[in-house]
Amino acid sequence: MRNWSRFLIGATLSVLLALGLTRFVGNEYFFFATYVVLQFIVLATAWNILGGYGGYVNFGASAFFAVGAYCAVALTQSYALALPLQILAAALVTGLLGFAVGALTLRLRGIYFSIATVAVAVICETVIMNWSFVGGARGTTVLQPAAPAFFSSYTRLLFFVMALLALLAVAFARFVETSWIGRGLRAIRDNEEAAESVGVPTLKLKLFAATASGALMGAAGAPFALYMNFIEPTSAFSLNYSVSALAMPLIGGSANWLGPVIGAILLAGTQQIVTVTISSELNVLIVGLLLVVFVVAAPHGILGLWHKLVARGGQRP
Amino acid sequence: MKFARTFTALRMAVAASVVLGIIAGSAHAQEKKPVRVGFSIAQTGPLSGAGKSGLLALQIWRDDVNGRGGLLGRPVELIVYDDQSNAATVPGIYSKLLDVDKVDLLIGPYSSNLTAPVMPMVKQRNLLLIGNFALDANARLRHDKYFSSLPSASADQWAAPFFDLAKQLQGKAVALLAADAEFAQTLAGGARNEAKKRGMQLVYDQTYPPATVDFSSMLRALRVKQPDAIFVAGYPSDSAAIVRAVKEIGVGDSVKLFGGGMVGLQNAPVMQSLGSTLNGVVNYHTWVPEKSLEFPGVSSFLARYQARAKDANVDALGYYLPPFNYAIGQMLEQAVTATKSLDHKLLAKYLHDNAINTIVGTVRFNEMGEWSQSRMIYIQFRALADKNLDQFRGPGKQVVVAPAAHKTGDIVPFAAARK
Repeated sequence: MRNWSRFLIGATLSVLLALGLTRFVGNEYFFFATYVVLQFIVLATAWNILGGYGGYVNFGASAFFAVGAYCAVALTQSYALALPLQILAAALVTGLLGFAVGALTLRLRGIYFSIATVAVAVICETVIMNWSFVGGARGTTVLQPAAPAFFSSYTRLLFFVMALLALLAVAFARFVETSWIGRGLRAIRDNEEAAESVGVPTLKLKLFAATASGALMGAAGAPFALYMNFIEPTSAFSLNYSVSALAMPLIGGSANWLGPVIGAILLAGTQQIVTVTISSELNVLIVGLLLVVFVVAAPHGILGLWHKLVARGGQRP
Repeated sequence: MKFARTFTALRMAVAASVVLGIIAGSAHAQEKKPVRVGFSIAQTGPLSGAGKSGLLALQIWRDDVNGRGGLLGRPVELIVYDDQSNAATVPGIYSKLLDVDKVDLLIGPYSSNLTAPVMPMVKQRNLLLIGNFALDANARLRHDKYFSSLPSASADQWAAPFFDLAKQLQGKAVALLAADAEFAQTLAGGARNEAKKRGMQLVYDQTYPPATVDFSSMLRALRVKQPDAIFVAGYPSDSAAIVRAVKEIGVGDSVKLFGGGMVGLQNAPVMQSLGSTLNGVVNYHTWVPEKSLEFPGVSSFLARYQARAKDANVDALGYYLPPFNYAIGQMLEQAVTATKSLDHKLLAKYLHDNAINTIVGTVRFNEMGEWSQSRMIYIQFRALADKNLDQFRGPGKQVVVAPAAHKTGDIVPFAAARK
């Protein structure tokens, strides 16, 4: 309970900080760059609910992200829905997609499940490419509306909304981790047969994790078209989202809700900096190199390494 | 006392001259502050082949303009970022260019899909943007300070000369094969419109996933329909695979015209590897070494480009994008020099009101910032040998067959040109 109070105080302070930043930071580029980092916090946290706690590696994060984005576009074009409703609708649709994909594939394990999630991404991309209402293969322009009075630009509003989504995702992941759901998912990850034999409702928990993970990924994708002022399938279904959503929890540590946050800040932050400084193939290389380094030197991520160091320090006389 | 007064006066004079010197020096430095031209261009990802050659062309322009004393007496500096061929990186990059780097002039990213996210930003901030081979990028926003470097205003204009050639060869039945991706689908839309305008029947209309490598079943299905002309809209790997499949399977005796919008058949490595397989193919291009396209300065530019191409590891010939990227620099240079200003409003007015002399010819813009006269050319590959890159350096191998203003030879029916 005390931990939750501390978390809530931290979350409230973060919301106030995000709101303050939109008022007092003059440089628009700050919001463009941090929006991307926050978006990856949501994606990585969402991936970690099924992949980190449950041990089911989803290679199709880009599909959920893009379906969320396209769902928002379709609703904007049809009904001119407001942004919060777009996000809710996208989360609902991708949550259902996660449930359907889970129901069809979660009886598969290991690499077979992962390959099935790649297939989902390919199927979704093909459908979108042939759906002319949302621009098909050519893409479509989605212009930002005028910013509400409190925000001096729409990008600042998007930054604030993504900050709220990141907090919501992290709070949800923390709830899952510390509840019986998290304990059940960890049991599934460690030994699914043993978990089943002691009465853990494995399929129900996996379906819950797939639905929640999909819904959060879709919510992260919903403002994408407004951020870009445009959407097209190649960038929305970019493999980068799938790879980063997986790499960030692995780098930060997948056992704890804080791991994906650390991984996302480190990796997405580095990518943002490298894109506008070194600006070369090195940017693409960074994810791979960091993954190799952490898999070899810190298989449990930064948090795992930290706990190891603390434990060693505690053993000293 | 007199000495002391003289000494004080002397000290004041020295101090004054030092202060004046500092002020003059700073003013001089202010004058020499570079004119910053910012843009993103793919150096990684699927667009990087063309992106790297385009960047080299702009670097050559920067060197040339700095050799001439710069713009407004100030050196030109290029601020360039790699967008990784990914449209999602573009908003952040252009915000960095405008809000952090404070560039004076902007060039768009290479290709249509990457330009789309920049358009609302420049419209909102009322900035001048020279688009870099973006097709129809200003159609929705109609920004009055957008200007295109692409010599075609729309997909219809792009496809039109091909269908004029089909008409010339008494073509009535048309087959269409297009990749399921942005550019190919846009161009296929233009092709459908142009075929319809000329009363031609679309007997086969097929799209394929961009990763397709085997086209044998599609070509067999297409042969059954006995088209007179086949229009293909594809990307480098599929364009090359289709040309190879045509050699292996054939397209039937009915076909008089084959080609259209195949990206990649302008690139030196693809042309070299396909060699004689390309004979008879009629494809779009932007520039080839034919007499009708020898605009002032283009040969000299290409000589310098080709000398640096090997070290830069870019397209050895550089006919497709590089001359037009150099021309972007010339458009900016002419406007800034004539107006003696970096004011985007004045520059845009100048570009709208005046003819711009570039190494790809004299350009006039319409109210949408597109070329008022489309200059997309169609060439026919003729008498090519295998594994010989040098054959493409001279005239006669890529004969301009359309439009009439730049024609250097008559169209030869596909089967006859392949003999």
